Amino acid sequence: MNMHIINVIIGREYMTRVKKKSFLLTTFLAPIFLAAMMILPSVIMFMAEDKGKKVAVIDDSGIVMPYMEDTEAVDYMDYAGYQADSVKAAFNEFGLDALVLVSPLDSVAKSVTVSAYSSKPMSVDMKDAIRGNVNKAVEEYRLSSYDIDGLKQIMEDVQADIPVSTYTLEDDGEARISSSEVYMFVSLIFSIIIYMFIAMFSGMVMQSVIEEKSSRVVEVLVSSVKATELMFGKIIGVACVALTQFFLWVVLTGILVVGAGTVIGFDSIAESATVQTEQMNQMTEGLGVDPSVMEQGGMAAPQMEMPAGDSEMAAVIQTLRDIDYPMLLISFVIYFVLGYLLYASLFAAIGSAVENEADTQQLQLPVTIPLLLAFFIAFYAFKAPDSQVVFWGSMIPFTSPIVMLARIPFGVPVWELVVSIVLLLLTFAGIAYLSAKIYKIGILMFGKKTTFKDLYKWLKQK
Amino acid sequence: MGIIQCKDVCKSFGEKVALDHVTLDFPEGKIFGLLGPNGAGKTTLIRIINRITIPNEGTVLFEGRPITQRDVERIGYLPEERGLYRKMKVGEQAMYLAQLKGMSSKAAAEELKKWFVKFGIQSWWPKKVEELSKGMAQKVQFITTVVHKPSLLILDEPFSGFDPVNAQLIREEILNLKAQGSTIVLSTHNMESVEELCDDIALINKSKLVITGGVNEIRHKYGNNNVELVYTGSTAVSPVPGTFRVLSDMDDSGRHTAVLALEPETDNSAALRAVLDQSLSINSFKELVPRMNDIFIKLVTEEE
Repeated sequence: MNMHIINVIIGREYMTRVKKKSFLLTTFLAPIFLAAMMILPSVIMFMAEDKGKKVAVIDDSGIVMPYMEDTEAVDYMDYAGYQADSVKAAFNEFGLDALVLVSPLDSVAKSVTVSAYSSKPMSVDMKDAIRGNVNKAVEEYRLSSYDIDGLKQIMEDVQADIPVSTYTLEDDGEARISSSEVYMFVSLIFSIIIYMFIAMFSGMVMQSVIEEKSSRVVEVLVSSVKATELMFGKIIGVACVALTQFFLWVVLTGILVVGAGTVIGFDSIAESATVQTEQMNQMTEGLGVDPSVMEQGGMAAPQMEMPAGDSEMAAVIQTLRDIDYPMLLISFVIYFVLGYLLYASLFAAIGSAVENEADTQQLQLPVTIPLLLAFFIAFYAFKAPDSQVVFWGSMIPFTSPIVMLARIPFGVPVWELVVSIVLLLLTFAGIAYLSAKIYKIGILMFGKKTTFKDLYKWLKQK
Repeated sequence: MGIIQCKDVCKSFGEKVALDHVTLDFPEGKIFGLLGPNGAGKTTLIRIINRITIPNEGTVLFEGRPITQRDVERIGYLPEERGLYRKMKVGEQAMYLAQLKGMSSKAAAEELKKWFVKFGIQSWWPKKVEELSKGMAQKVQFITTVVHKPSLLILDEPFSGFDPVNAQLIREEILNLKAQGSTIVLSTHNMESVEELCDDIALINKSKLVITGGVNEIRHKYGNNNVELVYTGSTAVSPVPGTFRVLSDMDDSGRHTAVLALEPETDNSAALRAVLDQSLSINSFKELVPRMNDIFIKLVTEEE
């Protein structure tokens, strides 16, 4: 191996790609998109929040008004004595956003009926707030009607609202609070990214091999360097492009999120993360995840119409903070590099056997199937990270880079990581050897369309 | 001793034998013509010399010792199927190919500039290859083949695709490189350029070496002992039994051009004496050497 020459090859493969407009565009636009995904929900929530809404209350029961507590979002105004119809007619002149009519007290049912009118559809939050206040007023009234001393105190004592916190047990026995939805979200994102990266960049290697073959420049190249040097120089050069892109994505997204965080506050970003987790839930339901699976996993499927409770929110934020990001990023790099090397060698061999991209279909199939399979197993992994399929998927080298990465946010024992990495390395070495054999012969073969039989013959050739 | 020596080189691809015990010597500082019909095994032999293909049997010596990967830095190769990266800029591409031949980027830039100036194509440097015409791209590729001053230059059909002006330019450059001490292997079907440029040739047919040697030597060897006699006079030359026969005699208003076939035992002097005896007015007496083209056809069709 002539290192100087390999460096020249790597340099060309790297520079021609990094200088491309498409590379610059995706590298700088993707972080903006990612950061926007993280920040926008909080901005939208912030903008959509009710603020200083004026609500007129005509309380014919006489018990409700004292419980209508003003909040930042809503100002309740006592319109006792006004005619409902005249208020409705002069809605805009009063500058009202809503009118709440409380019926006279029904002394038998010990209840009231409430109707609310507004010019624009009422937000769920406002409706919930009004209902909460009226309920409270009616409950208080009913309690007092029993005329038992200290009943109010008793009821308060009896009332229970017990949050269920889920914990993950560490190897050292320490528990950490966790929110499974967050793991699922992170797992999904990372398996999609690693799948995309492996498929995209090993496909790039194949394209580049085909380009050199069909333009016939390859014969000049292999008269200067060994075919294997050319192949691995190309594979390494493209890997550097991928790592550069990933590194820039991490750094730029980080800068954008931190930058936005200082402007609009970190809490709102954490909140938006909660919102996204919920969206994720909806997605998983949409994907056909059986909610009972999630309940078995010790978590209740959150109700979408209810805002996330404070404790749930805390768990989400805690989980997001607890995720071992350096570990995740390092694993990403290791599994991407190894998985990419494996698939790029295979794709290089395929590229060498064809003269144009249209001919790759048939030869590509046995390589794309395990890659797609890995992606599907990874989808299963975030539903059932401990299932057998997922375990073996994360061990078998052709699927392990993607499946293991989907498992990592849920925590994976070190020995499993070591075994899967070693297996992956060994398989890469074997595949690289075989691919190089095919590549050496393939790049100089023109005319006849290559079949699997030909590939087998080339493998046997000395 | 030749710069490249092939000894009993064999190569087969599966069942198909491409080279069958070929032993060849490429003399240093000469232009060597590698001839043979399509599919004879020339390209395989060239690829073996370039170490693109490794022979199944036999050895290849470079300057007397077994060839190594480092030696390819001293070889320049222009394949028959030309090709450059279409999307790459001419200058960057030339730099890349020169560096793959072991040149430092500084030396590559200096030498390339010289060649671009010499060929008057400096303005192409920042252009993309796809913007060039086929002939222009070939010129660039020729430069990248010779920029590292190779000791051995292998040119496969170097003149194809060039107009006569550029073909002449390339021809001159080949002679220049020879004068500077490079050995040149010329693989071509153009027999005129073989006669014009080559010192030695080898003919390969059906994966076997048919003949190798100096061009003049071979042409004389395959000569069929004919002479051309130009004379003026009213009487025609008459055959002399035991010395020569008259194959043809064309009379162009008193100026005759005759072809005489000498008998095997007769040499040129004896034939000339016999002609002089006929008291003709002789303008010229010239031995007829066969064209390379005829020898090529004769050898290849004889095999079949």
